Amino acid sequence: MSERLREVISSLRSEQERLASGVRPAGALRGAPSAPGDAGELERRRLASELALAREAVSHANEERDRLRARVEELETERRALSDDYVAAQERVTGVAQLFVALERIHRGRSRADVVAAVQEIVINMIGSEELALFERRGDALGLLKAFGVDPGPLHAIPLGEGIIGRTGATGATWIAGRDPSEPGDPELTACIPLRAGDELVGALAIWRLLGHKPVLDDQDHAVFDLLSAHAGLALQLRAPQDLASDA
Amino acid sequence: MDRKKILLVDDSSTVLLMERMILSKHEYDVVTAKDGAEGVEKAVAERPDLILMDVVMPRMDGFEACRRLRQQDDTRDIPVIMVTTRGELASVESGYASGCNDYVTKPINGLELLAKVRSCLGQ
Repeated sequence: MSERLREVISSLRSEQERLASGVRPAGALRGAPSAPGDAGELERRRLASELALAREAVSHANEERDRLRARVEELETERRALSDDYVAAQERVTGVAQLFVALERIHRGRSRADVVAAVQEIVINMIGSEELALFERRGDALGLLKAFGVDPGPLHAIPLGEGIIGRTGATGATWIAGRDPSEPGDPELTACIPLRAGDELVGALAIWRLLGHKPVLDDQDHAVFDLLSAHAGLALQLRAPQDLASDA
Repeated sequence: MDRKKILLVDDSSTVLLMERMILSKHEYDVVTAKDGAEGVEKAVAERPDLILMDVVMPRMDGFEACRRLRQQDDTRDIPVIMVTTRGELASVESGYASGCNDYVTKPINGLELLAKVRSCLGQ
């Protein structure tokens, strides 16, 4: 259609130039009546015809433009969807990589100290908190294995069932701040995760404040919690207890 | 396109492994160092196209390592991205004052890291 529009515009330009130079159209020279009124009428009809053609061409061009605009919008929508899919895929890939790294770090260590260091690194670098404590179950209490960024004094032995940490160690239920508004909380505690070795509850991991630029936990954090719950306790159980020099 | 070489400097094996996994699948060659001093040595020896530098490390922290890199002719132009748990303005300002080009905060977001790496490498 744009080709036709170009032809019409070219024709109009030729006509304009011809009129400007004062040359009469070829038909006017051949026709018998050469009266100025007849020639003017013919010229008017011819121009009206050309104008109608031009209008038709413009109308088609406008339709084509609207069609192309709609197509551009469709493509832009497709591009946005693809971009969103790419971002989602990348996030999933990063999430899986993160879980792989966490698993590898927990089980690679040869000693309990290695496992404890791995858990600490995972909490700092994946969850985003520099305040944590790791406990193992000792009789009717949770004994402190490691505290980082918090005062270990009140944490050395927490009776099972006492407070959020003790309840987590007793019940095996993960506690997340704000998840259950009816439950009494600790204003500074963010999460408390039970540690298991198979079906046995063997300890707990408490996490206090998140880093300032990470205001909330997300789905990936919960996946890391699940992994820690299932694997950190097992890794600790499989390593001899005497090799952990307590620096809690 | 030439494969770019990236030096990762961090005392955390977890972070190094995480960064390696994110970057290696995007066709970057990766070398690692466990502290700032080793990072400076590796930068001179390996001439990486980019350095990801942790801040808090034993022996030499990331700010000091960055300052040393900027003092040497061989390494002064290598872009450095600080990787830090500290997102506060003061810490970011200290990073820029030491000569870093950009920073990312931990926990590392893979997309953000890739975007900043590509930006620093002019990709």
